[in-house]
Amino acid sequence: MMQGFAFVAVAVFLVVLLLLSAGHEKDEDLTPGAKRNRGRLGSADALQSAELVLRIFSPKDREFIELRHSPRLQRLYQEERRKVALHWVRRTSREVSRIMRHHRLNARYSQNVNVAAETKLFGQYLELRFLCGVLVFLIQLLGPHALVDLASYTGKLYEQLGRTMRDVSAVSNVASSGDAVP
Amino acid sequence: MLNVMIWSVGIFLEILLLVRGFQEKLYRQFPIFYLYLLFVMLNDVVSMGVYRWVPNYYFQVYWVTQFLSLAIGSGIIFEIYRVALRSFPGAARMTRYVLLIVFGAIFAKALTIPSGGVFTWLAAASIMLERNLRIVQALAIVTLGLLFLWYAIPFGKNLKGILFGYSLFIGLSIVQFTLWRYSLEQIKPFWSYAQPVCYLLVMGIWVRTLWFADSLPEVNPDVQIEIDYELLMATTRDQFRKTLARLGWAARA
Repeated sequence: MMQGFAFVAVAVFLVVLLLLSAGHEKDEDLTPGAKRNRGRLGSADALQSAELVLRIFSPKDREFIELRHSPRLQRLYQEERRKVALHWVRRTSREVSRIMRHHRLNARYSQNVNVAAETKLFGQYLELRFLCGVLVFLIQLLGPHALVDLASYTGKLYEQLGRTMRDVSAVSNVASSGDAVP
Repeated sequence: MLNVMIWSVGIFLEILLLVRGFQEKLYRQFPIFYLYLLFVMLNDVVSMGVYRWVPNYYFQVYWVTQFLSLAIGSGIIFEIYRVALRSFPGAARMTRYVLLIVFGAIFAKALTIPSGGVFTWLAAASIMLERNLRIVQALAIVTLGLLFLWYAIPFGKNLKGILFGYSLFIGLSIVQFTLWRYSLEQIKPFWSYAQPVCYLLVMGIWVRTLWFADSLPEVNPDVQIEIDYELLMATTRDQFRKTLARLGWAARA
């Protein structure tokens, strides 16, 4: 029974991630400037550039904004960058769907379809859509620099845990030495 | 009395469907489906006679013919597969493999049933056996449906009607058999009405969708595609690799 529920839960989680990654952007999410540039930025070529990707997800801009010490500016930056990052991931996810659709619409006519290769390709497609879903989820939850923040948070947590462990072992050492005293 | 009325309406609809199928020459396109309809119509006529004149033998006749109709009905699934994927050899090949895996998994599951294995399963009460066989049919239909959606297989109105009607019939049968198993006494009074009424609903769908012959939508494949499958696969893989790289940049930025 529990296995069945776990299976359903995992399936629902995956579907939610896929829906998240393919979610439609609302027009009100975009500023007038962004709307004007939508056609230009929305082209598939614009997505290919490594510079663009690095620029969107790099924390350098945030570090620069933080130097201004303006909470309003920081909030504005956070909101805008989150929208840009989400736009990029969703466009990428749609691009993945488009590629797969083109492939399967053509492959269905082929006499010599390779079942193993098709299965592997389907696995890659699911992997990409899953990654996009995870990215969208993290960006919505933690912001555009989610992975960097998550890594630094984990590092801090690890450090804290190490400190706590040292403290605990020191306390237990003291306690055990206290017990040894008659 | 109500039972006989529902029965008579069912037989009338079956005859109507057979006549329209003959007039529109749909039986050439869907021979197994029309064979199934003919069988069900003859079965209904015989069963009605037995019910009226020798009711003691009704249940024996019912279960024997029910299993025969189930066997012929399985042919409808094969016909849906054959007609829908006629122009799509690639999708047909994938479908064959996926169905093989699904049936293999069902067989493996049946073998691992703890209480006596597959023979106990087969020797189970008639209702449970029919329910289990209907579940196998339902799994095959769901698999087919998902693959049709994945490969964007175009349906004509007729094929869509057969698929939808038969799926509904199987779905309703599974629900009925399950309810029968778990709440025998509460369901028993409604049993003799529920099944024929559901069947009339399915017949209504078939009458509506099979009244006129509707040819399958024509799809023009890319002429080059047959020699370019390897290229198509390589291009898709390359595009996926590039997308994965871009996601990697985003994660590492």
